[in-house]
Amino acid sequence: MSTLLRLTAANIKSLVRDRAALFWTIFFPIMFVFLFGWIFGGSGSSSNISVGFVDQDGTATAAQLHTAFASVPILSVQTGSLDEEKAAMQKGDISAIIVVPTGFQDAVAKAKTSGTAVSIQLYTDPTKTQTAQVVQGVATQIANGFNLQIQGATSIVTVDQQSLSSNTVSTVGYLVPSILAMALMQLGVFAALPLVQQREKGILKRMGATPLPRWKLVASNILLRLIVAAVDTVLIIGIGIVFFGIQLTGNVLEAAGFVFLGAGAFLALGFALASFLKTEEQATGVVQVVQMPMMFLSGIFFPFDFLPGFLKTVAHFLPLTYLGDALRQTMVNGSQVAPLAVDAAVLAGWLVVCLIIAARSFRWE
Amino acid sequence: MTQSGGSVINVADLRKYYGDVKAVDGVTFEVGRGEVFGMLGPNGAGKTTTIEVLEGLRAPDSGKVEVFGLDVTRSADSIKQRIGVQLQSVSLYPRLTVTELLDLFGSFFAHHLPTKQLIDAVDLGERANARSMDLSGGQQQRLSIALALINDPELVFLDEPTTGLDPQARRSLWDLVKGLQAKGKSVMLTTHYMEEAAELCDRVAVMDHGRILEMGTVPDLIGRHFKERAVFFDNIAALPMDRMAKLDGVIRASQEDGQTVLYSKDVPSTIGGLLAAADQLNVDPHNLGIRQATLEDVFLDLTGRALRD
Repeated sequence: MSTLLRLTAANIKSLVRDRAALFWTIFFPIMFVFLFGWIFGGSGSSSNISVGFVDQDGTATAAQLHTAFASVPILSVQTGSLDEEKAAMQKGDISAIIVVPTGFQDAVAKAKTSGTAVSIQLYTDPTKTQTAQVVQGVATQIANGFNLQIQGATSIVTVDQQSLSSNTVSTVGYLVPSILAMALMQLGVFAALPLVQQREKGILKRMGATPLPRWKLVASNILLRLIVAAVDTVLIIGIGIVFFGIQLTGNVLEAAGFVFLGAGAFLALGFALASFLKTEEQATGVVQVVQMPMMFLSGIFFPFDFLPGFLKTVAHFLPLTYLGDALRQTMVNGSQVAPLAVDAAVLAGWLVVCLIIAARSFRWE
Repeated sequence: MTQSGGSVINVADLRKYYGDVKAVDGVTFEVGRGEVFGMLGPNGAGKTTTIEVLEGLRAPDSGKVEVFGLDVTRSADSIKQRIGVQLQSVSLYPRLTVTELLDLFGSFFAHHLPTKQLIDAVDLGERANARSMDLSGGQQQRLSIALALINDPELVFLDEPTTGLDPQARRSLWDLVKGLQAKGKSVMLTTHYMEEAAELCDRVAVMDHGRILEMGTVPDLIGRHFKERAVFFDNIAALPMDRMAKLDGVIRASQEDGQTVLYSKDVPSTIGGLLAAADQLNVDPHNLGIRQATLEDVFLDLTGRALRD
């Protein structure tokens, strides 16, 4: 046992003294937490959408419309002439312009009898499609409200927005377990690098000439990565809680189980990769080719629905999809891609298959 | 099985093939307790494969391979407790220090020497806390010797211990090996330096193409192949080989690297004849000299090629 601990300590020292390895396994995911936390977190006001309101009519009805837009919490409304607002949109200060054309009030009055539709104009920035959709939705809602008011009717059916889970999952709450999943994936896949390096340099062979049993060599590598997995988990979740106010609402034991199951599955993948890679340069390239697409296809940073059909199919085979899903479910009660049992089964499947491949193909020199 | 005649290594008809490549093709030898045994040969001769079979790193295809009278395949673990190994590649965990590496490797063995003692033995005291990646080539080589000695082994394997070292570092390594022998340890080493084999080894085996061509003490081998001494000088274009081979006393003539070597059993007559012939042509033989045949000559004679790295 003392041999195993010494070997693990030697591996930890090697990792801590290797700045590049340390960056990828610990600082890179932490950087992601802060980066995405600042982008998507923040207080309510910063996520407001600025829009310009151009009143060419100058009537009471137009003013009423202005009040309606100004009272929407996610919009901050400024007024000006059409040219001024267009210039502001060019500069990127506002994302949309609402124009009430001349003769609007008169047209509304006539429409009650003639039935001719009256329109206001909405200019949106084509580079901000998501924002444009939101503004269009709000504008349509306001127009509908106006219609009802004009016709003297009241709305009977309204939509009361509710999140599926008991707590509303904030964007950061969604991202933090996702980043943790990414970190676990990377620490496992990147485990291929020191192994290939140690084989290429003959270190594994040199150890083979001592009475050290090989299982201890393998076990110390696994132990090292599981320790790093625990450190990553504490750091990432800790930063999420302290700096970005995420709340852990799930089952801690289940979450811890998935952290280690996931780390194990990706570690097995790393070992399987190391079985086929000969040089360190080759390993560095292949590891990136494996981890990069997985990072972007697994619903970690944006939901699946944005993926085109065939990529969605690919994503359904990737282990990271299921680890991210499981961690979101068990940590912040995120909505599920698959039931937890399926997540666990897929990860265990990857673990077993990769271990079999590694056990059959791994070369010590 | 009992130990035969105090030998620590006992190999009979060892074979190891890699597909069509006969890396080791029927090798038989013994190494006695306390002996320094050298294996000489060019790259690809099969020296490293042979030594790695003995270290338990490769399984033999066939033949008897015993260390301390124990079969290397069946008793690998107990043999590994008692041997010291230095491999050709010197890389170790690059970011661990000399002390850390010795402590770590020591923990792999049931019994091991104190780290401090080993560091002193290989004269690395000043670099004890340096990372192995920051050591010079000679220092790395000494560290790798220290690691080979960590379990106070009875038998030490050194695979090309001085390749790539400057002459001074090579000398200090030779002193280390002589120190081992003085302590009664057995050593098996491979080298392609004739000088090194002549300096260190009680017996040498000359190996090429997976076979042992000749084996014995260095003076023995030279005596067996050369009763004569060598007369050498820079090539003279006007003096063809066939003419020189007919000079008095010459057994054999060869040309290597711009030098003509005449193996002669009657050196004064050979030199007399050479000078007379040169005088006739009005040329002067440059760098003329006489020496005993060396291991290098034996190797050249056996394999038909020079043994240079």
